[in-house]
Amino acid sequence: MFKAIVSAETLSSALDSVSVLVDECKIHLEEEGLAIRAVDPANVGMVDLSLDAAAFESYEADGGLIGVDLSRLEDIAGMAESGQLIQLELDEETRKLQIQIDGLEYTLALIDPDSIRQEPDIPDLDLPAEVVLEGKDVNRSVKAADMVSDHIALGVDDAEEYFYVDAEGDTDDVHLELTEADLISLQVGPAHSLFSLDYLKDMNKAIPSDTEVTLELGEEFPIKMHFGFAEGQGQVTYMLAPRIQSD
Amino acid sequence: MKFAAFADRAGEIEAEASDLAIVDHVTSLLADANDDLEVVARFVQGRVFPAWDSTTLDVGPRTCYEAIARAAGRNVSADDVEERLAEVGEIGAVAASYDFGGQRGLGAFTEGGGGEDLSVREVYETLVDLAEADGSGSQDRKVDLLFGLFNRCSSEEARYLARLVLSEMRIGVGEGAVRDAVAAAFDVPEDRVERALQVSNDYGRVAAVAREEGLEGLDAMDLELGRPVKAMLAQAGTVTDALEEWDETAVEWKYDGARVQLHHDPDGETRVFSRNMEDVTDALPEVVEFADGRLEDPVILDGEVVAIDDAGDPLPFQEVLRRFRRKHDVAKAREDVTVRPVFFDCLHVAGEDLLEAPLTDRHARLESLLADGEGLSTLWLTDDPDEIEAIDADALEGGHEGIMLKNPDSAYSPGRRGKNWLKRKPDVETLDCVVTGAEWGEGRRATYLGTFELSVRDGETFETVGKVATGITDETLADLTELLEPHVLTQDGQEVDLEPAVVFEVGYEEIQASPTYSAGYALRFPRFLGVRHDKEPADADTLERVRSLYEG
Repeated sequence: MFKAIVSAETLSSALDSVSVLVDECKIHLEEEGLAIRAVDPANVGMVDLSLDAAAFESYEADGGLIGVDLSRLEDIAGMAESGQLIQLELDEETRKLQIQIDGLEYTLALIDPDSIRQEPDIPDLDLPAEVVLEGKDVNRSVKAADMVSDHIALGVDDAEEYFYVDAEGDTDDVHLELTEADLISLQVGPAHSLFSLDYLKDMNKAIPSDTEVTLELGEEFPIKMHFGFAEGQGQVTYMLAPRIQSD
Repeated sequence: MKFAAFADRAGEIEAEASDLAIVDHVTSLLADANDDLEVVARFVQGRVFPAWDSTTLDVGPRTCYEAIARAAGRNVSADDVEERLAEVGEIGAVAASYDFGGQRGLGAFTEGGGGEDLSVREVYETLVDLAEADGSGSQDRKVDLLFGLFNRCSSEEARYLARLVLSEMRIGVGEGAVRDAVAAAFDVPEDRVERALQVSNDYGRVAAVAREEGLEGLDAMDLELGRPVKAMLAQAGTVTDALEEWDETAVEWKYDGARVQLHHDPDGETRVFSRNMEDVTDALPEVVEFADGRLEDPVILDGEVVAIDDAGDPLPFQEVLRRFRRKHDVAKAREDVTVRPVFFDCLHVAGEDLLEAPLTDRHARLESLLADGEGLSTLWLTDDPDEIEAIDADALEGGHEGIMLKNPDSAYSPGRRGKNWLKRKPDVETLDCVVTGAEWGEGRRATYLGTFELSVRDGETFETVGKVATGITDETLADLTELLEPHVLTQDGQEVDLEPAVVFEVGYEEIQASPTYSAGYALRFPRFLGVRHDKEPADADTLERVRSLYEG
């Protein structure tokens, strides 16, 4: 069984941070909250999301699994005005999700979870560098790099102790340095990896500018980006595999 | 099978010029395909899905360029790919010219580490996902999926992946080569493979059945409701051909419509397929309604849909096409142009395949299915040229295209353009003949002149070469009567002598030597094509021209 009431903002934030990578996903309806894990078709970008029961106005679940079409569910959540509450209830008989927004009732057909891409194994990475910064700085870095290139290098200079962003275009280059003073915190370590902006731009869309984002980086290793939403009761971790830098 | 192994074989085949050597390559490819036999048998022809399946990848060139660009590395754009294509001229070569794999996958960082080489199966499954993607954002998803594949490709793999995706495989493997290779690889006779292909339209399935179940399995393959088979085709021919070839000729009207194959299961689905085996069910609700309302048995029927006006008269072919291509607002389109089906062949009734049965038997089954004649194309059996002419005239008068001539004993051979079905050949040559006589008609045509006597010039005199009575509508007869009546010289009963004044353009099948007419020649199956208002009798064709046409 699953029955929950949640604010439109919280639900939308959760869905948006997954839909930047996949169109369909499985949602685990655990007793202590919702959990979603998904990887893009090329197995390059991954999202791991949890939304605690405390983030809901009310929440009851007993460990079910449903499959949803994310854009459909986002559209429905978009029908709610800011501050409105959305009630979700799983009809076990019909395997449909009953959604209520005030007087509006929507019955959403669910997708067979078995037909959805398998949930990824999460790489167990011990990354040497950790950068904590504001969402708006991630935003600015991605935007600057996107002006000149379709790739972005992220790294930490462990001697000079700063975090940097490099982007090389055919003609123009972008370089951005953020020292510990510009950041919330910095744990230096050898780190330099190249990433595709196609993915990073999408992930960046889901990062609120006023939130605290933790980046974990290594040498030619995936990046982990972690941030909270719904007043810290929701957590998102993105993981993105690097590009080989030899070219 | 690894996709790299497939790409290697495809490369070898492409480099091969001799058909026999190609068949040998395909044979060993199929023999080595293991679990991927069905997919490999299609991939080698550049197909992802079986021929009967209407599923398409729906990947435009631009989507493919974007995926290649993204996999190709830093700062390569779809425009760059397109530019290179303009230089190189072929997408496979473009894809092979890039160095893919710059983007690593997350799998490489998990325990046990991913990084597996791309398999034929993975390519196929990803392309199935790709085909299923629809709705908003689906083009992005297609790019993502394709990128994921290209990113794992070597140059050679990329070459054939790009071609496969854009349906430009072109390595010289035709249907016949795969048929022969299936026969050779699994030691079954080619003609039985051919038969199995005709009923199933599925090279992958046939290859798998040949391998798993051998000849017995192949022979047991039947038509299946919902899986279209290729339409039997006609070639051009003449009444003379038909009468010479067959004791009796089956004659049908040739409808000016679009070919459809109806698959109707009263307890299941009704699907309508075009001549190219495209699913056009949604565009043609009238055909589905016809089947639901009238057919109680599971059947596969072959026919045409014709567009009709409010009076039920046929409209030109273009009107049908407008309905055929319609994907949206079918109800609105239906208000503008109504279509109706006319069936002329029956391939399957209630579990029984009729492909091997003679045409006359198949048509008899069709008649019993459509007992009240609605939606049934009539079939006449005759050896009388005049009767054939009369049927042709009625067809033309009814606004149809003409007639079909069929061998009454022939089987239904899907996809074959054989001499068992003839569409009456349009006239090769026409003659401008002077009208020198006519007859008053009978019945409702009593007030019209008809059966016009045709003559050609021989110096200052005119010699007859035939009579034309057919292919003329009542409306035209009225006009011709008005045109000719002032030139009546004498009248004897129904027969009228006319002053040479009016010139007809006349088509015919051939010229024969004949004592019947004063010219010594007769036009065989003459047809009225029109009045040459621009010509005087003095400008009409001469006996000399008729003679030279006869002598060829």
